[in-house]
Amino acid sequence: MSKRSDQSIWLALTPLYSVILGLVASGLMMLLLKQNPIEAFALLFRYAFRDIYNIADIFAKATPLILTGLAFGFAFRATLFNIGAQGQFYMGAIAAVVVALRLGFLPAILLLPLCLISSVVMGAAWGSIVGICKSKFNANEFLISMMSNYVAIAIMNFLVRGPLKEAKGEYPQTDVIPEAAWIHSLIPGTRFHWGFIVALAAALLAYVILWRTSLGFKIRVVGMNRSAARYAGIDEKKIFVIVFAISAGFAGLAGFMEVNGIQHMVVQGFNPMLGSEGIGIAILGNAHPLGIVLSGLLFGALKVGGNLLTQTTTIPSSIIGIMEGFVMLFVVLSYFVQNKVILAQRKKSLAKGEDVA
Amino acid sequence: MSNVNETAVELRGIRKCFSGIVANDRIDLEVGKGEVLALLGENGAGKTTLMRILYGMYRADEGDILIDGKPVTIDSPYDAMNLGIGMIHQHFTLVPVHTVVENVMLGLDGPYDPERVAEEIKALGKRYGLEVDPYATVRLLPVGMQQRVEILKALIRKARILIMDEPTAVLTPQETDRLFDFIREFRAGGNSVIFITHKLNEVMSIADRITVLRAGRTVGSIPKLEASETTLARMMVGRDLELTTGHPAKNVGDVVLDVDNISVVSSRGNRVIDGLSFQIRQGEILGIAGVSGNGQEELAEVLCGLKKAEEGDIRISGKSIVNCDPLTIIAEGVGYIPSDRQKEGLVLDMTVAENLVLKGSSDAEFTRGCFLDMTTIEENADRQVHEFSIKTPSVSTKAKALSGGNQQKVVVAREIAIASKLLVAVQPTRGLDLGATDYVHRVLLRERDKGKAVLLISTELSEIMNLSDRIGVIYRGSLLKVFTRENADIGEIGLLMTGIRGESNE
Repeated sequence: MSKRSDQSIWLALTPLYSVILGLVASGLMMLLLKQNPIEAFALLFRYAFRDIYNIADIFAKATPLILTGLAFGFAFRATLFNIGAQGQFYMGAIAAVVVALRLGFLPAILLLPLCLISSVVMGAAWGSIVGICKSKFNANEFLISMMSNYVAIAIMNFLVRGPLKEAKGEYPQTDVIPEAAWIHSLIPGTRFHWGFIVALAAALLAYVILWRTSLGFKIRVVGMNRSAARYAGIDEKKIFVIVFAISAGFAGLAGFMEVNGIQHMVVQGFNPMLGSEGIGIAILGNAHPLGIVLSGLLFGALKVGGNLLTQTTTIPSSIIGIMEGFVMLFVVLSYFVQNKVILAQRKKSLAKGEDVA
Repeated sequence: MSNVNETAVELRGIRKCFSGIVANDRIDLEVGKGEVLALLGENGAGKTTLMRILYGMYRADEGDILIDGKPVTIDSPYDAMNLGIGMIHQHFTLVPVHTVVENVMLGLDGPYDPERVAEEIKALGKRYGLEVDPYATVRLLPVGMQQRVEILKALIRKARILIMDEPTAVLTPQETDRLFDFIREFRAGGNSVIFITHKLNEVMSIADRITVLRAGRTVGSIPKLEASETTLARMMVGRDLELTTGHPAKNVGDVVLDVDNISVVSSRGNRVIDGLSFQIRQGEILGIAGVSGNGQEELAEVLCGLKKAEEGDIRISGKSIVNCDPLTIIAEGVGYIPSDRQKEGLVLDMTVAENLVLKGSSDAEFTRGCFLDMTTIEENADRQVHEFSIKTPSVSTKAKALSGGNQQKVVVAREIAIASKLLVAVQPTRGLDLGATDYVHRVLLRERDKGKAVLLISTELSEIMNLSDRIGVIYRGSLLKVFTRENADIGEIGLLMTGIRGESNE
């Protein structure tokens, strides 16, 4: 018995192996660039944790990543693919910036919650279109949500070049939002803002919904066995819409974080990889809220260290993307290997005549 | 058959593991030329796995296969066919939209002339009593005829060793008799048959020798002359078993279920249920017999709100529930044991406790506001596990870790808790071993005696005959006749199952 739990500890660590393998593989890529990977990683690590500002920045970078990770991971629990986090993020960002600009006369205590709520509602409304298409027309949610990104990008482009264009009229971006709408730093002088705590609360909320409420129970039943859900009288069409609304709400919230916490405006096409990085983070975190928080932090650290690394050395900035890519690749592979290992173990213990419950 | 001395097939020490189970554990088996070997065992004993190894669909982890005394390697069904082995699968491997000739030609080597193949089909059909129209579309043939096509496919490839995997499961008693005639004829030509079954009466009527498997091992191999149904049953189960048979209903009360002339049209536009009417009273089991695919599934689904009725009415204790959603019908006290527990009855990746509240996740009993009440859910699970003696390490074990019998107990426990008025059970013992089957039967009878109405839909005629107080025969979506238990005549039921109405009083 104790032997088996030992083994499961090793298996539980597979995401860690994948991360290490990903780093090794990207190190090999650095060799091709005639760079010393060990030096580079040492530098990356040192930069990421160099001072309080950088450490705080890890959390600031992780905040929207955790939320787009939840946007994919939550839907994945219902075996639905939400590829539309990028567009949902933009819609949330637009809602937050519009509220902050138009209602800028309000005090912070009213303005901030209003921005937050409107970004969530806007993201959710945008995402539920995907859910409605799925339940009404049996459309493929993967394709619809992916294409909804392009529509969202087009809407953003139109707005920042037209109605929302800055007063100066120079760049495709909005005006800076009033300071009352800025999210306060948790540590003065850094970018580590209250939004991180909200992102943690969002992860906790995702957990509670999925494993502690009757709605979450239904979502998981739909995710694991659609026929059984139908048979148990669960209205899967309703669940599709609800799941997409909640997932997209998380992505919309990421828009609030970036606009009110970091950028203080909307710039055309900002953070263009947030949605796809969220998918990787959700997969690395096994679509579990806690795993998503941890892998969001890891990706945040890679970003902070990697940015400084590429600024101070001749290593090209694309190496960060390569590192992220390799890590995700190895995570996906690890699920396959993990299954094989479990199978082989079972066969071995069967051969020894042990009972496998 | 007494002069069997040459072996056609010999399997030595065959071993095969799948994830989590040893399906075959060093099995030995021998079939002589001109011999019918019955491979007997409960579901999950490893019969089908062993035969799939012989037919080249699986590769054994260990062990040897000898054909005519020579060791061979069989890597694919193609190799098996070349060695003269044919297999009739439980689920047919025919292309439904093609004709008989096209199906038979599929997989034959070299260019073939359809007309010549058709002639061959006719000739073989005549010789073995397997007549079938070579140009008929397979989809339109009755199941018994489709099976003939499968057999002809093997014969045209000169099969000398025929493996039949539960061939009678889909047949009526009359069709079974005809199949047995063919097997005797085939054997007379010095050919061999391996006949997989778990039905003892079939073994006694067709086999020359019987090999019994239990839990992946060979229990023994005996000539039929030395065997009796009791000894075989004991070998299969490993202990004596007294099978439950129903005793007549005592307290039949008011009408619970009143099905009034309902019709269901499938998505393809076929009338799968056609003007069906019947009633069930409190404390009564109505059994619906029929060959599978005659509207049984649809009948259960329309009763439980999973399918829409085109016309007609369904009343539970006088209240119309036709075309209500499943939750409303559940709330009316209708439990439903579906035919496929893994596909519909359970969420295998959820725990036993969660599966026991699968239909009750919104009930006030298991929730506080929108939150699940974990304490009551676990208490409920503890109680059910105890009451139905579900063997599980804990209530938080995932359903997929349980054996088939215990999985079914989870479904039965949940549905009985829901079924305050009516229990609909479709193939409730499919894939269960004798012990678990008997348990489910006893539970059904107990619920009836408590005054519930039970609708038992099964293609196992013996199950229907044993438990039902009244027996209806369904054919192409209509009830042809309803017998009382005393008047039930198995011969007439068998004919009705094929759609042939007797001359008797209607």
